[in-house]
Amino acid sequence: MAVMTFAAIDIGSYEVSMKIFELSKKIGFRELNDVRYSLELGKGVYSNGKLDAQMLDVLCETLNDFKRMMQDFGVVEYRACGTSALRELTNPLIIVEQIYRRTGFKVEILSNAEQHFLGYKSIAAIERGFKKMIQKGTAILDVGGGSLQVSLFDKDALVTTQSLKMGSLRIRQRLQELEKTTIHYDKLVEEFIRNDLTNFQRLYLKDRDIKNVIFMGDFITDMIFQEEMKDKIITRDEFMKRYEDTVDKTEDVLAQEMEIDPEYASLVVPTMVVCRSFIDIFQAEALWAPGVSLLDGIAYDYAEKKNFIRSVHNFENDILVTSKNIAKRYSSSKSHIQGTMNLCLNIFDSMKKVHGMGKRERLLIQIAALLHDCGKYISMGNVSECSYQIIMSTEIIGLSSLERKMIAYAVRYNTTAFADYDEIQMLGAGIDRESYIKIAKMTAILRLANAMDRSHCQKVKGIKTVLKDRELQMVMDSSQDISLELGLLQDKVAFFEEVFGIRLVIRGKGRV
Amino acid sequence: MELEKFEKSEYFVNRELSWLKFDERVLSEARDKTLPLFDRLKFLSITASNLDEFFMVRVASLKDQVHAGYHKTDIAGMTAKEQLKEISLRTHELVHVQYNTLNRSLIPALEKAGLHLVGAHENLTEEQKTYVDRYFEDNVYPVLTPMAMDSSRPFPLIRNKTLNIGALISKKGKKEKEEPMFATVQVPSVLPRVVRIPSVKEGDTSVILLEEIIEKNIDKLFLSYDVVCAHPYRIMRNADLTIDEDEAEDLLVEIQKQLKKRQWGEVIRLEIEDKMDERLLDILKMEFDIKEADIFKINGPLDLTMLMKVYGAEGFDQYKTPRYQPAPVPAFQNDKDIFRVIREGDVFLHHPYMSFDPVVNFVRQAAKDPDVLAIKQTLYRVSGNSPIIAALAQAAENGKQVSVLVELKARFDEENNIVWAKKLEKAGCHVIYGLVGLKTHSKITLVVRREETGIRRYVHLATGNYNDSTAKLYTDCGIFTCDERFGEDATAVFNMLSGYSEPKRWNKLIVAPIWMKDRFVSLIEREAENAKKGLPALIRAKMNSLCDPKIMAALYYASSCGVQVELLVRGICCLKVGLPGISENIHVRSIVGEFLEHSRIFYFENSGNPEIYMGSADWMPRNLDRRVEIVFPVEDEKIKKELEHVLDLEFRDNVKAHILQPDGSYVKPDKRGKVQLNSQMEFCMEATERAVQQKHETKKSRVFVPAEPAEDIED
Repeated sequence: MAVMTFAAIDIGSYEVSMKIFELSKKIGFRELNDVRYSLELGKGVYSNGKLDAQMLDVLCETLNDFKRMMQDFGVVEYRACGTSALRELTNPLIIVEQIYRRTGFKVEILSNAEQHFLGYKSIAAIERGFKKMIQKGTAILDVGGGSLQVSLFDKDALVTTQSLKMGSLRIRQRLQELEKTTIHYDKLVEEFIRNDLTNFQRLYLKDRDIKNVIFMGDFITDMIFQEEMKDKIITRDEFMKRYEDTVDKTEDVLAQEMEIDPEYASLVVPTMVVCRSFIDIFQAEALWAPGVSLLDGIAYDYAEKKNFIRSVHNFENDILVTSKNIAKRYSSSKSHIQGTMNLCLNIFDSMKKVHGMGKRERLLIQIAALLHDCGKYISMGNVSECSYQIIMSTEIIGLSSLERKMIAYAVRYNTTAFADYDEIQMLGAGIDRESYIKIAKMTAILRLANAMDRSHCQKVKGIKTVLKDRELQMVMDSSQDISLELGLLQDKVAFFEEVFGIRLVIRGKGRV
Repeated sequence: MELEKFEKSEYFVNRELSWLKFDERVLSEARDKTLPLFDRLKFLSITASNLDEFFMVRVASLKDQVHAGYHKTDIAGMTAKEQLKEISLRTHELVHVQYNTLNRSLIPALEKAGLHLVGAHENLTEEQKTYVDRYFEDNVYPVLTPMAMDSSRPFPLIRNKTLNIGALISKKGKKEKEEPMFATVQVPSVLPRVVRIPSVKEGDTSVILLEEIIEKNIDKLFLSYDVVCAHPYRIMRNADLTIDEDEAEDLLVEIQKQLKKRQWGEVIRLEIEDKMDERLLDILKMEFDIKEADIFKINGPLDLTMLMKVYGAEGFDQYKTPRYQPAPVPAFQNDKDIFRVIREGDVFLHHPYMSFDPVVNFVRQAAKDPDVLAIKQTLYRVSGNSPIIAALAQAAENGKQVSVLVELKARFDEENNIVWAKKLEKAGCHVIYGLVGLKTHSKITLVVRREETGIRRYVHLATGNYNDSTAKLYTDCGIFTCDERFGEDATAVFNMLSGYSEPKRWNKLIVAPIWMKDRFVSLIEREAENAKKGLPALIRAKMNSLCDPKIMAALYYASSCGVQVELLVRGICCLKVGLPGISENIHVRSIVGEFLEHSRIFYFENSGNPEIYMGSADWMPRNLDRRVEIVFPVEDEKIKKELEHVLDLEFRDNVKAHILQPDGSYVKPDKRGKVQLNSQMEFCMEATERAVQQKHETKKSRVFVPAEPAEDIED
């Protein structure tokens, strides 16, 4: 279709918002409607993990209104995402089901990494200056209601990204009681977040030189700075001036002065303090607030998938670079993981018809290859389990939690026996059948590639495959002696054949 | 800039007194002997209905203030008590002039024209008496409900605005000393007030008022009593809705409750026949608990709104201005579909000179068009049997998304609006019942259409309500556009009206109650700054009423800086002209004519780059602070020129314009030696001419046009 409409919905911790876009190849995307409703879902959730019934009523009402607005523009395709407020529910699935029953919306709860990846996509999407900016040290700061995400860029790629539970609404809720006891609320906030900040600085920032800070989200642009920032650039001095202007004021004064909803006004001071603290540790010179939100990211992501737009920035590369950095942190052998990854790709690409997997799985298998060895850092004897645990507890930007789990399992079964479906379910993994099959396929390929570099010497330079009937012939190109590899490979072949239902014949070049 | 120094009470006029000046201007039309006789009747009737509303709303509100012990003064420095005193004085005078006009001028003139209004049943001929008695027995008697008051029966409820006959009756054969009893009967509102009776002279028309027929036969209502005296009276009650919206769970329910309560309001005016028996009056005074200042003793028939019925009498066309037929809109005088025309360029509408049909067609076509996805509209006051409502319902049935904001708080229309709202809901429309605490007065329609190139939004913005009946009587402007910036804003307006956050920014629209006042003040100030720099500076604004102190102060400031301020204010104007150093550069005029001036147009010179705005808002606090209003810029150069022409013509009007004088009075301009110019008539001519021209132009082509299959007949 030449032109279509799409709705992005964000169920956030302090507001529910929706944007409707028109997507076309000709103009990319055009915003048709932008609507938000202030609703502090995070209030209850952050303290007791529950969403009270009244709040849910309002949420469903709002979503039904959204549905009507979508119909105004003939919208069929949508993506409704919940962020930290829904994520931290003790019973997210039940709430999601209730929302579905009452509104027809399938709400997807984004993992933190996914959420921020989408947000970060939105910046890259709209701003041509982004690519230039990230050549130098740049930080993206995304202060949400529940958490904040800080991502560091250097030389055109994402270096690290961390999530801290220091969202504005969460801070406000935690300090609510104490607020009355002090007249310097800003100092209180500062003190509250200091410890986390110091840790972040020590572990991740080190001596990186951060020149620019990009503020994600539209809270800063729409609520705090409003008219002042036509070019979306704030100098540090301007920020500090604004900071001094705001932090001493009460909610009511702020609400009146800035002509915003009092509920939003109560989030201004925590947001400002968090931003200032980061600006201080970065010693940044220029602050940039493009005013894009998760919604733009969702739409961008969709438009990209449907080929309405072509991305200017290689986002997959960001994910890979991040993964490499994780591997580096755990001292994996760079050449081995690189070699394994290349072999995986080689195998993957040469047998597309057999495995039937797509672009996304190709990326996942690369990450699996990059991380398959990281457990060694902890225990040489129990690599698979340790690797698994590390992956499970490391946030990898751009991956959903399911995808991360798939990678973790593929890595785990790389060297241990592959578990059957029921067994995996017993572990409480929450992996559906389709994903289970994908894990099996990824494991089979990873095992094969890994075994081909058993010696960690990257002897195999390339692979050629030929598919004849139900037989896959794989010829390894190597100028060195690969008898170790060839010998040990046979163990892996059985699993491979079982998974793909095909006969695998492996030989070295020129030999039989 | 310090506006406060321009906000002194001596610079302002009290709004109620200014309003009374407006009613006087309407009355002066009734007294204008150059006008056709029946037009004058109509104007007199309008002064009466205006005055009724004024009492019910404004006087009532002042009374409330007095009861509440509210001592604050208005912008002119008057307390509620002082205002009431002055109002009583002025309204008594006004009523006096009304009846003088009727008795001395209009009734004799009607007589000459062959319409006999028999004032008292005593003056009927024998033949007429027989007719009247028959009429009473056949039609009136069955619907009368006489009620008497005695020790066992309390004083009955007399309904607001109804005409009644009060009587004193005494039991037949009783001793003289005994006090007569009070009885009352309502003149039924279901029967026509003006009854045609046989004439003495062939070809003449004779009429009598219903209350006279009842009076003549009143003894038939109290058979075992003697009727001592019988006189008509009428009361007005406090009818202003004061809803505590903070507490109202459901606005709808609350208003419905209020409607029932309205009849029970305090009596704030009592009109009686001037010959009324003192004993009868004393009873009424006591029962209605009313002071002398609020009693109007009237020399003639009560409730002159009935003159509208007389106006409608057939056979007197030579005494009426011929009814103007709105001209077709040139842009739509072709076979193109309405959306295509709008795509080709913005379209300007000027009602009632141009027909309102395109607006109705816009909704109708949208309802039928398969590519239309959604229709959204604000409805404030709709006509009975509104074709727009029907089209909206049709659209919903055709599967369009239809959202309608029905303003339930539109004065005196609530009952009507609730019915429509329910009807729309039934048809599947999404109905929004207004916003708590704010009246939605804006007039906007949005049609969302899916086209090949993507979504396109068509917007109609106007100064007047979506009411096809009043569009024939009120002068209003509107535009159609599919400019995306307007479309985006329109969507944002409806988001806001459905309770969602305001947009980050408005592209074009200026929306009250949040942004509008400041914007107007800054536009006025910009003119002042330009004047100071010696640049051309001019403000021309047209509205119904002007009484916002901040705006007026800004206008004073602008005038003091040398800005030429020219205002067309039809109704209330609390601003004073000719104050030395303050308002010497302000000129105010009011046009009262055949059509009710209703459009709001704002022109700012902007140092040679004129900006023109139109919209739904007057410069009144209620519009700027307590209502959702939309004012929009006019950007199309052709339309701008047209609006400049509209303003220009109205400022040159020397027939229907009244010019405000420094002493607060209004006088008509001196016409000696000048060509008479009646702007309304001029616009009628222009619109008709243009429509004819367009018709000819489309006909000029020599190409044969194949006939097309007949279109569906519109229901």
